[in-house]
Amino acid sequence: MLDMTSMEKLRADCNPDAVEQCLFGIERQEPGALEEFYYRTSASVYGFALSVLKNTQDAEDIMHDFYVLVWSAAGKYRSDGKPMAWVLTVTRNLCLQKLREYRKKSDIPQEDWESYISGNGNMSAEDKMILSECLIRLSDEERQIVMLHTVSGFKHREIARLLELPLSTVLSKYNRALKKLRKIYGGEQ
Amino acid sequence: MRIKEAEGSAKIKQAYANAVPDICGVILSECKQEKGKVIVMAEEKKTKGTMKYIMAAAGLILVLGAGALSANVYRLNYAVSSTVSLDVNPSIQIMVNEKEQVLDVKALNEDGETVIGDMDFKGSDIEVTMNALIGSMLRNGYLNELANSILISVDNSDPLKGEELQARLAEKVNELMEADGFFGAVLGQTITEDSDLRQLADQYGITQGKAQLIRQILDSTTGHTFEELAPLTINELNLIISTGTSAVEKVSSLGSASEKAYIGEEKAKEAAFAHAGVSGQDITFYEMDMDLEKGVMVYEIEFKCGGFEYEYDIDAQTGDIIKNKKEIDDDMPAGSQVSSPGGNMPAAGTNPPGSGTQVPDSGTAAVPPAQQNSGGNAGGNSGASAPSAGGNSGSGGTSGTITLEQAKEIALNHAGQSASAVYFDKLELDHDHGMQKYEIEFIVGNTEYEYEIDAVTGAILEYDWGHDDGHGHGHMAGGTGNSTGADSGTVTSEQAKQIALNHAGQSASNVYFDKVELDYDDGMQIYEIEFVSGNMEYEYEIDAVTGMILEYDWDQD
Repeated sequence: MLDMTSMEKLRADCNPDAVEQCLFGIERQEPGALEEFYYRTSASVYGFALSVLKNTQDAEDIMHDFYVLVWSAAGKYRSDGKPMAWVLTVTRNLCLQKLREYRKKSDIPQEDWESYISGNGNMSAEDKMILSECLIRLSDEERQIVMLHTVSGFKHREIARLLELPLSTVLSKYNRALKKLRKIYGGEQ
Repeated sequence: MRIKEAEGSAKIKQAYANAVPDICGVILSECKQEKGKVIVMAEEKKTKGTMKYIMAAAGLILVLGAGALSANVYRLNYAVSSTVSLDVNPSIQIMVNEKEQVLDVKALNEDGETVIGDMDFKGSDIEVTMNALIGSMLRNGYLNELANSILISVDNSDPLKGEELQARLAEKVNELMEADGFFGAVLGQTITEDSDLRQLADQYGITQGKAQLIRQILDSTTGHTFEELAPLTINELNLIISTGTSAVEKVSSLGSASEKAYIGEEKAKEAAFAHAGVSGQDITFYEMDMDLEKGVMVYEIEFKCGGFEYEYDIDAQTGDIIKNKKEIDDDMPAGSQVSSPGGNMPAAGTNPPGSGTQVPDSGTAAVPPAQQNSGGNAGGNSGASAPSAGGNSGSGGTSGTITLEQAKEIALNHAGQSASAVYFDKLELDHDHGMQKYEIEFIVGNTEYEYEIDAVTGAILEYDWGHDDGHGHGHMAGGTGNSTGADSGTVTSEQAKQIALNHAGQSASNVYFDKVELDYDDGMQIYEIEFVSGNMEYEYEIDAVTGMILEYDWDQD
């Protein structure tokens, strides 16, 4: 089993082979497999949930539910070399379920993002700013596309499949989103 | 100054990574507690002997108190344990937890909404919910004497549990209907989560259960497409299954589907016999299936009499003869055909007076091969270009007509796919300018393949590969090949470079190519092309088959 610092290095490293091995490990209930899986995938799971739900507490709940579910259902994953597609599909389904609950209650509250995002101790002021800009400036779809491409390493084609959008839409939204974000980095278009 | 895109992406990634609240410890202990493995974890942590141990232990205590409880409570109460789908024509999905309490009921079509109405089932027992839904279907007339079949599908990660629940619910529904004096038919099946199935279900707005049933029908019969069967009611599908020759596995059946909406087998038989001018006593072989022909439910009747083989399709509602065919019975000894009393019957394909609905038979009629070829060669099927027709074409005295299975094989071989990996969208034998050809369409991942195959020689007349990305553009360079060469239709690296350059608005003379690589990804061949012009970096991924730009990225240094 890896210690904490080695785990920290794996944070958000979604190498498909490694993630797949983790899932197999979880299925066999090997010690450390779930932990490694968490470190590799949680940025994607949390990031996507946050992108969809725009609420840090809900995103955290989804993440919790997701890993508990994976622990009991890792056997449902069928090896196809695309474990991240599976991870994000399951996450997306959990999010949609959550959204359905919301539709019956009330709208998702608008938040002052920078004060809500607490992170995991490594979070810098710049990180907070980038994240809240993503949440405020981008449309839901733009944000999800940027997140999936940059954090989960999805190809545009894979994003199109997951979000059920035409490839051309994904491409144009991605480029538009990056243009918006470039302004934040201090430069003018 | 602008930040390079790669650097920007890295920053975004880091921001997301650092924003994740650390609940790993909580999750780990919840999961392990559930499986009774807490001790293992504590011991392993001990050997590290640092601050981390204390942190881990602290997490553990927290979990032993509250976490373990919450995990179990979560699974028992909120986790979807089974998904039950009900299909009649209304389609309804019921999500239940491990205690078989309803978490959510969802209508998948408008009829489903009508059935659910304003009833709220949250927290109710699954059997109570089923009772109410069946009652509503009867009241609203979705289940009636004419259409009495209902499909129950259960999706549970544990197949045994799923099967048990499915059998129990099917029994229950049957009881309910009987109690109402209603003779219903219940089809039951368990399904397993499957992304193809989900895609099909979403595409056609039906439950995964109905999608699976249709897929099974397609597997055991030929000549249908998913699209054709999707709008049918379960009763119609049930009729196709129950009268079909090949059994549909994995579907349990109680009761029998209602035929009351139709004329009945006897009438259909009479109509066919009358048309053929034969009487029931002379029949040597008889078979009846109910099937769907061009969107109409039909009785498919086959019989043999006096050295001839007859096939009729009778419209199940009107009794009209939609299709008829008469052939010399191959199974008969040669001599008997001559003496057979064939003269008193109408010749194959001729329409009797007064029946306007007849369609010329499009089956595998035994047309002499010579006649086929004379008309066919005009279409550009030079025999040499048939990649794998091999022994099929011109093999001596046999009819020279290839079977559907052979045509499928030819298309699959050419596409480099295997039957198990593809989903057939369309399998049709068609007439075009006097020649017979198979139209075959199948899907692998998000790529669609279309083939036209000469039914006589097996030559590939036309093919088209494209991406199913909802836009229908995908038939770019090299898409439609007219079998000019052995492996035409693939884009060369030069063409791929040109496509990228055109898109980037650059010309070959002022760029420098960093990378031109043919790569395999997801079963697809893709060119990865990178080039630099001035201080701009361009990256392209181009489908090596269609020439379509799959992905591109421009960066400024």
